[in-house]
Amino acid sequence: MSQQPSGANILHIDMDAFFASVELLDHPEAVGLPAVVAHNSSRSVVTSATYEARALGIRSAMALSMAKRICATVIVLEPHRGLYTKYSAMVMAIFRDFTPLVEPLSIDEAFLDVSGARRLLGSPVQIATEIRRRVLAETGLTCSVGIASTKFMAKLASTKSKPNGLLVVEPENTLAFLRPLPINALWGVGAKTAEVLKRRGLHTVGEVADTPVTSLVSALGESAGRQLHELSWGRDPRLVSTERSEKSIGREHTFETDVRDDVALKAALLDQSARVAGQLRHAGLEARTVGLKVTFSDFTSLTRSRTLSDATSVGREIHRTVVELLDELKRGSRSVRLIGVRASALVEEGGQAFTLWEDEDDAWRDAEIAVDQVAEKFGRNAVMPASLMRTMEETRESGIPG
Amino acid sequence: MKFQVNRDVLSEAVSFAVKLLPARTTLPILSGVLIEATSEGLVLSSFDYEVSTQTKISATIESEGRALVSGRLLSEIANRLPNAPVTFETIDSRIHVRCGQANFTLLSMPVDEYPTIPQVEGETGVIPAEDFAAAVAQVAVAASRDDVTPVITGVQLEISGTNLSMIATDRYRVAIRDIPWESRNGDGDIAALVPARTIQEIGKTFGHGGNISISITSKDDRELIAFTADNKTVTSLLIKGNFPPVKRLFPETVENYAVVSTSDLIEATRRVKLVVEREAALRFTFENNSLTLEAIGGEQAQASETIDAAITGPAQVVVSLKPDFLLDGLGAVHSEFTRIAFTSVDNPGKPGPVLITSQTSKESNSENPYRYLLQPNLLLR
Repeated sequence: MSQQPSGANILHIDMDAFFASVELLDHPEAVGLPAVVAHNSSRSVVTSATYEARALGIRSAMALSMAKRICATVIVLEPHRGLYTKYSAMVMAIFRDFTPLVEPLSIDEAFLDVSGARRLLGSPVQIATEIRRRVLAETGLTCSVGIASTKFMAKLASTKSKPNGLLVVEPENTLAFLRPLPINALWGVGAKTAEVLKRRGLHTVGEVADTPVTSLVSALGESAGRQLHELSWGRDPRLVSTERSEKSIGREHTFETDVRDDVALKAALLDQSARVAGQLRHAGLEARTVGLKVTFSDFTSLTRSRTLSDATSVGREIHRTVVELLDELKRGSRSVRLIGVRASALVEEGGQAFTLWEDEDDAWRDAEIAVDQVAEKFGRNAVMPASLMRTMEETRESGIPG
Repeated sequence: MKFQVNRDVLSEAVSFAVKLLPARTTLPILSGVLIEATSEGLVLSSFDYEVSTQTKISATIESEGRALVSGRLLSEIANRLPNAPVTFETIDSRIHVRCGQANFTLLSMPVDEYPTIPQVEGETGVIPAEDFAAAVAQVAVAASRDDVTPVITGVQLEISGTNLSMIATDRYRVAIRDIPWESRNGDGDIAALVPARTIQEIGKTFGHGGNISISITSKDDRELIAFTADNKTVTSLLIKGNFPPVKRLFPETVENYAVVSTSDLIEATRRVKLVVEREAALRFTFENNSLTLEAIGGEQAQASETIDAAITGPAQVVVSLKPDFLLDGLGAVHSEFTRIAFTSVDNPGKPGPVLITSQTSKESNSENPYRYLLQPNLLLR
C-alpha cells in the first residue's frame, strides 16, 4: 500500500458539545451560561452539557435532578433530534469535500484520512484549519481536531485539544505525549480493566508500555493484553474505513416513576421493538442479535442479548425475544427505572433467502411494512398495537405529555 | 460378575453405545454404559431418556451380574487395549479390566439408580438397510439445525402401502427419498418424526446389508421408534408436533428444465463460490444450451464459469442459489446427470423453486426416488 504510515495524516474531528451547541443556535440568550440538553422532567438525564455547565461538574448521562442540585440556575434546553441529524449531515458533507476517506464514528465525530489530499489541499494542519473555518462559517458550530499517524492517537489529540482546538501529534512525539497519560486513556480500558491494572501498580500508559506483554496477557487475556501493549506504544493498525456499517440500533426509555408491573414493562418493550424494527426497515437492515437493557431503581444495570437463527426486521420477533430475555432475568420484585431494546449484528436486508413457504413472521413483516406506510402519511400513532392504546390513554389522563 | 470378551467386539460395541449419548448430560448417571452379563451373553446399553442403544455381543460368562461404568472412559480404554482377550470382573464396588499386561480398575456407578431402558415389542415393518443408509445421507442434510423450530429438526418418515418416504426441510429446501417398505402389521398409514442427529448415526451404523426392523409404539403419551439390525437396537422418542405438509410443494409436472453433468456442476460451483461470503448466493444463467455461474457482488473478487446444459423450455432462465444448498442436492442425486427443473409460483415477487432430480443420461429421465426442492434467493442485479 502506498500510504505513509509515518506521517501524521489522520484527523479525528469531534464537534464541541454537539447537541448543546446546536440548541444554543436557537437560544442565543443561553450562550456563555451553564446549560444542558434534557427533557425538563424530574426523571430525565442530561444528554449534553455546555462547557460552562461542565466546568461546574455537570456531565452527560447525569440525572437532571443532580445537575439542578449542582447548579440551580442551569438552563434546560429541550432536545430536537431532527436538528442534530441535519447538522451532522452538514458537517460530514464538509469533511467529504476534503477527502472521500471519511469514517463517521457517531453523529458528531469522524476520522478522516487526508494522506491523498496533501498535494492538492496542503498539509494536514492546513486542511484541518480550513475544515474548522468552514464548519464554523456554514453551521455556526465549533469542533476540535486531533492530527496523528494513527486513529488512536488522533482521537487522544482531539480530546486533549478540546474545546475549539487543534492539536498535532507528530510520530516522533507520540511516546512523549502518550506515556504520562492515565491508563484509561487507552482504548478498551474501562473501569474493570483499570482496576486490574491498578492492582498491579500500573497507573500511566508509560507504565503499561514498560510491562512485559506476557504479564498483560496473563492479567487481561490474550487479545486484550496484546492490544493494550500495542496501544501503549502508540501502535494502532486500523485504517480509516468508509464502509458504512451501523453497529446497532436501539431505543431506551426512562420511566417517570419506577415500574414493577410486568405488563407495563412488556408494553414499553413492544413500543420500542416496533420503533427499532421500523428504523431497521427504513435503513434496509436486519438484525441478527437482539438485546435487552434494564436499569433498576438502585441504578444497577443489566444487559442481555440473544442471537437469532435468522436476521429480522420484524418488531414482533424482536419483542418476543426481549420479552423472553426479560422473563429470564429473574427480576423478582425489583422495580425498573429504565428499559431498552437494541438490535445489533446488522446485515443488509434481502441477504436472507426466501423460504419455500410463508411463515407467520413473513406475514407480520408485511403487516408492519403496511404500518410504516400509514405512519409516513398520518404520523406514528395512527396505527399501533392494541396493547399500547391503554398506556397512551392513561398518559393523557394523567396530564403528562406523551 | 465376571466374563471374557473379544477385544474388537467389545471396542465396537462400546463406541456405538457412547456415540449416541449427549456430550454433556445433566444427570451424571446417564453418562454411564450399562454392562449386563447373563447366561444369554453380554448386553451393553446406554440411555439418556430420549435415545437408547442396546448391543448384544457374545462373551464367555463366568458369573452373571450388572455394572455401570463411565461410557467415555470405557470407550477410550477399549480403543487402546492391546490385541488380546479382555476380562471384566467386579470385586467389591470396583470393576477390574484386564487385557494382556494392561490392568484397569474402574469405579462402578450406582447401577440400581439407572433408569429402565425402554423395551419395544412387535415389529411394524422392515426396510433394506442399504437403501435406508443411502436415504438418510441424502435427506438428513436438509434438516434444520435450529432448535427454535423443533419439528423441522427431525427427519419425517411417512409410511404408506409399500413405500416409506423420508423427508427433511429447513424451510429453504426440502429433500425427499422413497424406499421400499414391507409392512408386518397391516396397511395403515404411519408418520414418525425422528431427530435428525439420531437417524444419521443409525444410518451410519446400520447400513451394512440385510434388513432393519422398525417398530413404532405409543405408550403413556410417549411415542417411540425402534430400529433393530443384527445385534443392535436403537430407540428414540419421536419429536412431537406436526411436520409441515411439504410434499405438496412439489409440482406434479414441470415443463421447463435443464440437464447438466452432475460432476461438472459440482466442480464449477465449488470453484466459483470461493470468492463469495459464506451465506452469499451465486447467479445461475441457463441460456443457449449452456449454464453460466457467476459470483457477483463480492468486494474482493468476482468469478464465473460456463458448462454445457441441455435446456428444454424458455430461451433464458436466471436464478440465484446458495452454493452450499445446491451442492447438498447435487451430492445426493447419485447419478451422472442432474435435472434442474424450474417451477412457477403464484407470487410474482418471489422466484419459483428449482427441483433437482437424478437423470441417468442426457435424454432419459430415470425413476426418481430422490427429489430436492430448493428456493432461490431474490435476484439482485
